[in-house]
Parts: sequence; C-alpha cells; structure tokens
Amino acid sequence: MHLPDGFIPLWQCGIYWIIALVALGYALIWARKNLDEKNIPLMAVLAAGIFAIQAMNIPIPWGTSGHMVGAALIAIIFVSPWAAVLVLSIVLILQGLIFGDGGITAMGANIVNMGIVGGFVGFYTYKSLKGLGRIPAVFLASWASIFLASIVCSLELSLAGTFPLIEGLIFMGLYHAVIGCIEGVISVVVILGIDNVRPDLLSQWVRSKKPGAVE
Amino acid sequence: MHGLFEIDQEANKDSFMNNLDGRIKLISSILIIIYAVSSTDLLILVIIEIYLLLLISLSNVSAKYAIKRIALIIPFGGFVALIQPFFQPGNVIWTDPFGILQMTDYGLYFGTLLLFRVTVCVTSIVFLSSSTSMQDLVASAQKLGVPHQLAMLLNLTVRYLFFFYDQLMNILNAQSTRCFHIFNRKTTYQWRIKKVGETITMMFLRTFEQGEKVYLSMMSRGYTGNTRIYRAKERLDKRDFAFMGTTISMILILQMLNIMVL
Repeated sequence: MHLPDGFIPLWQCGIYWIIALVALGYALIWARKNLDEKNIPLMAVLAAGIFAIQAMNIPIPWGTSGHMVGAALIAIIFVSPWAAVLVLSIVLILQGLIFGDGGITAMGANIVNMGIVGGFVGFYTYKSLKGLGRIPAVFLASWASIFLASIVCSLELSLAGTFPLIEGLIFMGLYHAVIGCIEGVISVVVILGIDNVRPDLLSQWVRSKKPGAVE
Repeated sequence: MHGLFEIDQEANKDSFMNNLDGRIKLISSILIIIYAVSSTDLLILVIIEIYLLLLISLSNVSAKYAIKRIALIIPFGGFVALIQPFFQPGNVIWTDPFGILQMTDYGLYFGTLLLFRVTVCVTSIVFLSSSTSMQDLVASAQKLGVPHQLAMLLNLTVRYLFFFYDQLMNILNAQSTRCFHIFNRKTTYQWRIKKVGETITMMFLRTFEQGEKVYLSMMSRGYTGNTRIYRAKERLDKRDFAFMGTTISMILILQMLNIMVL
C-alpha cells in the first residue's frame, strides 16, 4: 500500500500533504496534552518497534507475502486514533526517507491512508463493535482499518488517473480483504498476549468486556 | 528494512558527497524528486537519472549495492507501470490474437513515464540515504524547521531502529534453532500465524519495557523535554553552496530546454 513517487500528480500530492500535516499537528498536540512525559519517548520507541514489525514478512495463502501495518492496534492500545497517526507518520517518514519505501511527494497520501484512515477506522470500529465482545471487535477493527485504507488508496490512484477505479477497487479490495484478516488475527493475539503478560499496559477500556466503558 | 546495517555503513563512509552538509543533500534530493514527478518528458528524466548516478559514484558507494537497492524497490511501481499500456485511452497499436488486450500509444508512453519517474525518485533516495547518516538526516530536518517535538521523536526512533531490528533477528534466530520458520508449509497456516502474533506480542512488550527504561535513563540524565540534537558540522561551506548551485542550475537548464526545444 506504500505509494511511490510519480503515481500521483503534484497538486493532488499537495492536498494529501496538507491533510497529513494538519493531522500530524493535531497528533502532536494530543501527545502533549494526553500523554505524560514518559509516554512521549515511548511513542518513538514504539515507532521503532512497529518499523521492525513491518519488516517481518508474513505468508499470505496464495503464495505471496505481506506485512502488518498496526494502525488499529496502536489506536486501540492507546485509546486514541491520534496515537496511530503519530506513530505511523514517524514510521512512514523514515521508511520514505531512508528506504525509499513509499515516496516523498506521495508521503502525505501514505500518511492519510495508513495513519489517518487506518487509525480512525480501527479505533471507531472497535469503539462501536465493542458490545460484540473484545475479540471480534479487535479483529473487525483491524480488518476494516486495512480494507478501508486500501479502498482509499485505490480511489487516490483512480483520481490520479494511474489505475482505473473498478479494477483498482477489485484488486486492492480483494487483496487487502485477505491481508486484513491476517492483521485481524495477529492483532487479537497481540491484545490477548499483552493482557496476559502485562495487563497494566492496557487501559481498562480495552481490558473490560463491558461495552461503552470509555476512559 | 533489509539492509539496514548496509545503509548505515555506506552512509558513514568518507567521500566528497558524504562530507557535504545534510541539509543541502536533503533539499537537493527533494527538489529533484519534485521536478521528476512534475516532468512529462522522458529525455529529461534520463538526464536527471545520469546526474544522480554520477552523484552516487562520487559518494564512494559500491555500484553493485546502489543498483541492488534501486532494483529492489522498483518492482512495486514497475507492476503498475507495466499495466498502463493496456488500459490508458489512445490509438491502439497492438491487439492480442484473442482480442482481449489492446495496447495504446499513450498508454505505452504513460507507463514508460511512470517507470522512469519511479526510477529517478528511488535513485534520489538511494543517493540521499547512502551519503547521509540517519542521525544527520533527522538533525538536518530539524534545522530546516521540522518542529522540535517531531524531530526528537524521529531522532529517538532512528536510534532504536537498530536495537529492535537486532531484537527481532534474535527472536527469529531463536525460532529457527527450534526448526520454526514462518514460510515452512509443513505446519498448519493457522498455527504459524499464531506464532507470528506471539512474536509481535513479544516485540510490543520489549518495546514498552525499553520505552520505560529509556524514559528513566533520560530522566536520570536531566531530561526536561527541551533536548537539543547534536550536530558535528554546523556551518555551510563553499562545497555545500557549489553542490546546491549545480543541482538548481541543472533543474533550471532542463526546464528551459524543455520549454524551448523539447
């Protein structure tokens, strides 16, 4: 889903960059207001951890491989979509600048897709589906974050005139619907694992099985 | 992520390009990328690519390493570029024997343009990252006006990238000594995915614990939130201005040529 440079015209890149910068600004304000000092270095260390996690290739049933994004997982653990925007932005900036994974002009679009859409869809899907139970809510939130991010990505490519809309929606949608399932299963394993080993790291909102218990 | 240590090794070599100021290289690379993305002429993109390859050769980077890195990234864009001739509108220049696929002249041009653009942009990033250390890159971004808090986060992330890469490798090595491999099809897919989830849980837990340790050690050294990032070289010298001037002149000349001749 990492869009490279050259696929989106400059003026459209500008629009995505503006949206990404405004969101990043809000995420930094959120970090200052809602995190204590301890959690600010934690965000950076977490971004490094997510970077390593994204480097891990995961097999996909039909023979190729993909990797985890983790936006929904971060949004759920930190009880805010802004945490996902912040961490994913840091990861995407470094991936683009150092590894060429995702472009520089397209970085705004990548932050919009994976950070903003991924984080917000993940968080609000979890919030609205928590009544179903923690496991299905985490699974569906992670799945939806990947699936909808890929739909937005194919819309952007279609607006750019680089990929036709219907084919893009079918290819990207189908591929990421499967990737999303894997992301969902892994997110569930991670949430249950953290809850087992270090329950103090999870907020009561994620630990409690009662719907609507927001901190 | 693969080749993280290789990138760091190349960036810390001693050469004309490595010794230039990070800010100058960052601005030049971004300018080149913006110009390449806005360009619609194949010849201009070829000239920029030659210029970038020349810069890479001045960076003391091994040619094999540079070509490998460029080739590794291009397949992502290459696929989208390859299918362009078959769906972009234009004059049909080829039809397959079954009449399903049609190749258009504009599609062929647009596909080639995308491929050239992606190649130039990736080469520019390969030049930047193999001639500038990651810490210098982040410090340069801060000097250029990136907000302090974001620069500090980027700086800390870069510092811990290597640590977590090592941690992940340790986990994967430990798993392989127990004959586990994610891609080994002798075990069920479900079980392998569960193990991947557990590996990622472990990474998360180590991340949290490391984050706490980092915070405590920063506090014990007097961290107040107003950290300054150390930079070895502060002032721009003649070589920096010469390099910046050359890059801007090249872009301006190419643009003039584009308007007048091409």
